[in-house]
Amino acid sequence: MIATLGRFSIWFALAIAVYGVCVSILGIRRHRPALIESAQGAIVSIFGLSSFAVLLMEAGLVGHDFSLEYVARNASLDTPVFYTIIALWGALEGSILLWIWLLGLMSVLAVMIESKRQRELMPYVTVVLLCISAFFLFLAAFPASPFTTISPVPPDGRGPNPLLQNHPLMAVHPPGLYAGYVGWAIPYAFGMAALISGRLGETWIRTVRRWSLVAWGFLTIGIIVGGRWSYEVLGWGGYWAWDPVENASLLPWLTGTAFLHTIMIQERRKMLKFWNVALVIITFALTIFGTFLTRSGILSSVHAFSDSGVGPLFLGFIGVVLFLSFSLLVYRSDKLQAEGDLDSLVSRESAFLVNNLLLLGFAFSVLLGTLFPLLSEAVRGVKVSVGEPFFNTVNVPIGLSLIFLMAIGPLIAWQHASIESLRRTFAGPLCLSIMGTGICWFFGVRGLYPLLAFGLSLFTVITVCQEFVNGARTRRRKTGEGYLTALSKLTSRGRRRYGGLIVHLGVAFLVIGITASSVFKLEQEVTLKPGESLQLGRYQVRFDDLSAWQEPHRFVVQGNFTIFNSNHKVAEMRPAKRFYPTEQQPIGTVDVRSTMREDLYLVLSSFAKDGTSATVKALVRPLMMWIWVGGWIMILGSLIAIWPDRRRALAADSVEEYVAWQPGRS
Amino acid sequence: MRSALFALLVAGILSAQWASAAVAGSLEEQTLRLAAELRCPVCQNLSVADSPSEMATQMREVVHEKLQNGESPDQIRNYFVSRYGEWILLAPTRQGFNWVAWLLPFVAIVGGGGIIVLTIRRSIRRGHKGNVEPSGSTDPRYTSQLDEELKEWEQ
Repeated sequence: MIATLGRFSIWFALAIAVYGVCVSILGIRRHRPALIESAQGAIVSIFGLSSFAVLLMEAGLVGHDFSLEYVARNASLDTPVFYTIIALWGALEGSILLWIWLLGLMSVLAVMIESKRQRELMPYVTVVLLCISAFFLFLAAFPASPFTTISPVPPDGRGPNPLLQNHPLMAVHPPGLYAGYVGWAIPYAFGMAALISGRLGETWIRTVRRWSLVAWGFLTIGIIVGGRWSYEVLGWGGYWAWDPVENASLLPWLTGTAFLHTIMIQERRKMLKFWNVALVIITFALTIFGTFLTRSGILSSVHAFSDSGVGPLFLGFIGVVLFLSFSLLVYRSDKLQAEGDLDSLVSRESAFLVNNLLLLGFAFSVLLGTLFPLLSEAVRGVKVSVGEPFFNTVNVPIGLSLIFLMAIGPLIAWQHASIESLRRTFAGPLCLSIMGTGICWFFGVRGLYPLLAFGLSLFTVITVCQEFVNGARTRRRKTGEGYLTALSKLTSRGRRRYGGLIVHLGVAFLVIGITASSVFKLEQEVTLKPGESLQLGRYQVRFDDLSAWQEPHRFVVQGNFTIFNSNHKVAEMRPAKRFYPTEQQPIGTVDVRSTMREDLYLVLSSFAKDGTSATVKALVRPLMMWIWVGGWIMILGSLIAIWPDRRRALAADSVEEYVAWQPGRS
Repeated sequence: MRSALFALLVAGILSAQWASAAVAGSLEEQTLRLAAELRCPVCQNLSVADSPSEMATQMREVVHEKLQNGESPDQIRNYFVSRYGEWILLAPTRQGFNWVAWLLPFVAIVGGGGIIVLTIRRSIRRGHKGNVEPSGSTDPRYTSQLDEELKEWEQ
């Protein structure tokens, strides 16, 4: 029943997508608004049908309908309901279903919100979105159908991969990432619509900026939460392994970040038109590439939980997207000439250009490193690995230069920055951050990179604060408001600028956290008898005993540890190992004690079966919490920038930007 | 700006080289540092230093033992390469074709930087030549609109 209905709704949705593409092309050619409206109706129907399919799949999962192959592989009678529900994105077929649903949702929102304002572009946007939908619906209808049945029907399912039923963040990480991937389809569709229709003014740029911010925000959530999940579940003490799948999610984030910055140049100066379309094409292609890497199994990865034969289809789709988009771009290049000229090498425009260069360089090195094993095997026939040591060596200098730009970029004047204005803006922050770096050195920070990382992050924090304080002070002087009122009104009047500055602040926190937690990491692995302890930094970790018990779907062995800080008991920690009947290797569960100052991280590596000893790996990672705090600040900043302003009329848009983007004015 | 950027990059690469070569430390620290360069053969994508697997634990012990016996880091690396192939090293060796991975990103950035500087220069020159009307900022239409809207908002 579920299988039949599910398959039917997906096929039906595919048929509607194809119908919608034909109808809207016809509508555009013959200038028939009715046909175009029908195509928009197709988008709504696809969303309805895919919602129905998702509900059917959930019903199958929660109702333990093991006649569905997907349910039999990803659910079991013993799995808790929560993890049964989120098993929807535990494997390829369900993820594609989720992808289709998210794309449907975003497309419906885009049609609802933009179709009145963008009458000229919307028909083309509809075509592009329907084509993307059709590709994914094709995958779900044929090679990766979530509603395939098996017979005989097994009495119980295998249950989700234990790593995926070990942590509640699995409910946030994949959907966040997918929403970020899917979200870039909207700016891409608008970019393509502008290219096809030849309306390459600033309209499409102004329309997509909020959509891009939404996609960027979701991608940020997906990446940060993924790091957190990795840290708390995979049990190796880190959060980012430069793993192919992680890299794949970073790539569109980097190019998307570049796009968010250069659209400001196009809005203000009517330049970089060609480049912006190219960037949005690259970003969209990279989101498809990310899905492909996650799901094809072409490169081994800690996040690849499914292999299948859809790889070639994805590659084909990426090829078609790139070929068609760039052909169009070249065809329209005469309409993409800059209408303005640059005035000086030292200006906001130049800072953005160098920012783009570095972001793209960063992305290129990540892409090259990720694919280099394949390249090496093809050229030399030798397998090589490209991992953390490589990426850190190549990307840390690029990243540090980016932080430098992040600190100065928002404060350099547009067009031309005079030496005098540079001195006025940066002399104070520069002195303060050099002093701060000196203090870091005094407290034992050594090495060029850590000092630069701390110094530049501090520089960013100071310049951002200076910008807020100056703005609020000016407002206060003019209006006589209280300090907090002035600050909040300032932010709400220039949401995009101040939201962006808050994102920069978050990045600075993130960088401080990453640097401190990796450079000053303490690590020890010791075998202890009950009552013995190990000393790590300020902490004394005492092993008390082991306990073990059976749970419905697994067997658990837990080490009980008491933590002392200079002879005061501060905590009890219980890292464990969980044995699943379907897995050969036990799954470790770490225990982390987090404070703003540092994290204590315990892993139960192994134990004697009679309970006479346990091997424990202990890590102290300073300022680890700052990474997550920084991530949340980034998300807060993007929320502020996205938040719609009810009082603002459409026409006022450009004026608001005009006011908000006066740099360093006080 | 270009030369400053280039100097920063060169300084970065050089200092990374020094950092990996010079610093010593206790035997445990040396073991972990060397283990961080080796790939855990049974894991998906973790280093021998990070991996919680038994295989990695054994490999850490081998590294520790060999360091204790006075073998140099290079000898130990070669030992693992001879057993598992180049694949065991988490960063490709700096020789032959592998230089492509190490250098291409920087070549691309320096090249791109050159293009950007040339483009800006050309654009500035073009701007000076056709300097009939100053660009956007003093457009009277915008200025008046701006004042109006500002007044509206302040209420």
